[in-house]
Amino acid sequence: MADKLTLRRIAKTFEVDSGRVAVLEPFDLGVADGEFVTIVGPSGCGKSTLFNIVAGLLPPDPGGSLLIDGRPAASTLGRIGYMPQRDLLFPWRTVLDNAVIGLEIQGVPRAEARRRALDVIGQFGLDGFADYYPFALSGGMKQRVALLRTFLFESEIMLLDEPFGALDALTRSILQEWLADVCAKHRRTIVFITHDVEEAIFLGDRVIVMTARPGRLKLEVAVGLERPRVPAVVTSAPFVALKAQILDAIREESLRSFAALRTEAPPG
Amino acid sequence: MTRAARRRRAVASVAVQAMALVAFLGAWEVLVRLFGGPKPIVPAPSVIAAEIVEIRGLLLSSGAYTLASAVEGYVLALVVGVALAVVFESSPALQRGLFPFFVASQAVPIIAFSAVVILWFGNGPLSKVAIAFYLSFFPVTVSVVKGLQSCDPMSVALLRTFGAGRLQLLWKLRMPVMLPFLFVALRVATTTALIGAIVGEWFGDNRGVGTLILQSLYAEDTVRLWCGIVACAIIGALFYLVVVLLERWLLWWPAPALDA
Repeated sequence: MADKLTLRRIAKTFEVDSGRVAVLEPFDLGVADGEFVTIVGPSGCGKSTLFNIVAGLLPPDPGGSLLIDGRPAASTLGRIGYMPQRDLLFPWRTVLDNAVIGLEIQGVPRAEARRRALDVIGQFGLDGFADYYPFALSGGMKQRVALLRTFLFESEIMLLDEPFGALDALTRSILQEWLADVCAKHRRTIVFITHDVEEAIFLGDRVIVMTARPGRLKLEVAVGLERPRVPAVVTSAPFVALKAQILDAIREESLRSFAALRTEAPPG
Repeated sequence: MTRAARRRRAVASVAVQAMALVAFLGAWEVLVRLFGGPKPIVPAPSVIAAEIVEIRGLLLSSGAYTLASAVEGYVLALVVGVALAVVFESSPALQRGLFPFFVASQAVPIIAFSAVVILWFGNGPLSKVAIAFYLSFFPVTVSVVKGLQSCDPMSVALLRTFGAGRLQLLWKLRMPVMLPFLFVALRVATTTALIGAIVGEWFGDNRGVGTLILQSLYAEDTVRLWCGIVACAIIGALFYLVVVLLERWLLWWPAPALDA
């Protein structure tokens, strides 16, 4: 069976006044139906560029293509749920109306969209908050509304770009556990970017490590830990071994990009 | 703050305002009576008040006439200003090409322009509407263009990934984001629209508060002149109040503070 999402030789070069900057080198990736893939890499490795391309916001360099269910997708706009790091909730919409905006744009009638949102709002820990405005919510709740918005949008593939990056450690670990739980209930294909290696292993079926810029695939490891995963898993021997392997790869890349920076710097 | 505390604070500020007003009018009255002489340039408030009561019918009809021209020009400025801004926002090339002409048109002093407008549109209300519009629409356009462009690019990107087209982006994101900017311009435009209507009457009309002021000036009737000024002040304040109430009703969410 074809992968749900296939990236075939996706690359990106930006033209700037002083020449061309390669941000992403030809990148291949297949994500199976229902798989949870996490991507980690040093800062500036082109993760977000990769996401923008997959979401359809940026065209890849000629020669690269995106396939959904094995068929080339001319544009992925409107077909892939995308959640950026910031919640981007609209202050003039209530929690409920923020959550259904994707459905609204897809043309689902408002009443029907609201009904669907209310059906699952409890699973997102937002029971009783449907009519609140975002300014009255905590950071963790806003992030859950943003996740609900991404979940409600009718797409089989979801891209999550560091959704918990701006949260405190405690909220973050609670939300990680909760996300793993929600994903088990709603079978979706997910690609998840993070800086946090533990988060990547805890959530992922597979972890992809990217190289320093220009971004390429550095390391790919399957996470064999059984689900549902409990927080205590992070101290288990297989988890620790995986973490060491991934951290080594990232460290190598970080040093390499740091060294590159130093040789690029003007002498004197 | 509790509701009771808020109410106490509101009552207190109204009381202070009322006392300040009474003190101001009292001081005015006393100064005019002491130093004004038999025919003061600034009449005493009591004299103005008596005249207002005397000619209330004329003041009401004049005020209604002037306000109608101002409001019509204002609404036209709102519609044209926003439409123009949407066009400019959707086409940067058009904006860069045409914007300088609009800026230049605004540099022409309204006084120089008004005479021509009267020639074009006649002595009736239409010419006043045109002048009120001309004075008000461009600030609306400039403000709204800025508002439409002040959207977070990430929010635009998010809606695009949901498959939103230009129109959906406009209605679901750009318009709400633009509203606070629009209202800043709309508050200022209450004044410019009223100025437009009054100045228009000076160039040719036989009705309205502007006409009343001009005729009182020719007749050296300072009391009636001041009645006209008071009428203008009341009309202006009411106009502004309605716009502020509209703003409170339409902008219920905490928006970036744009007030100077």
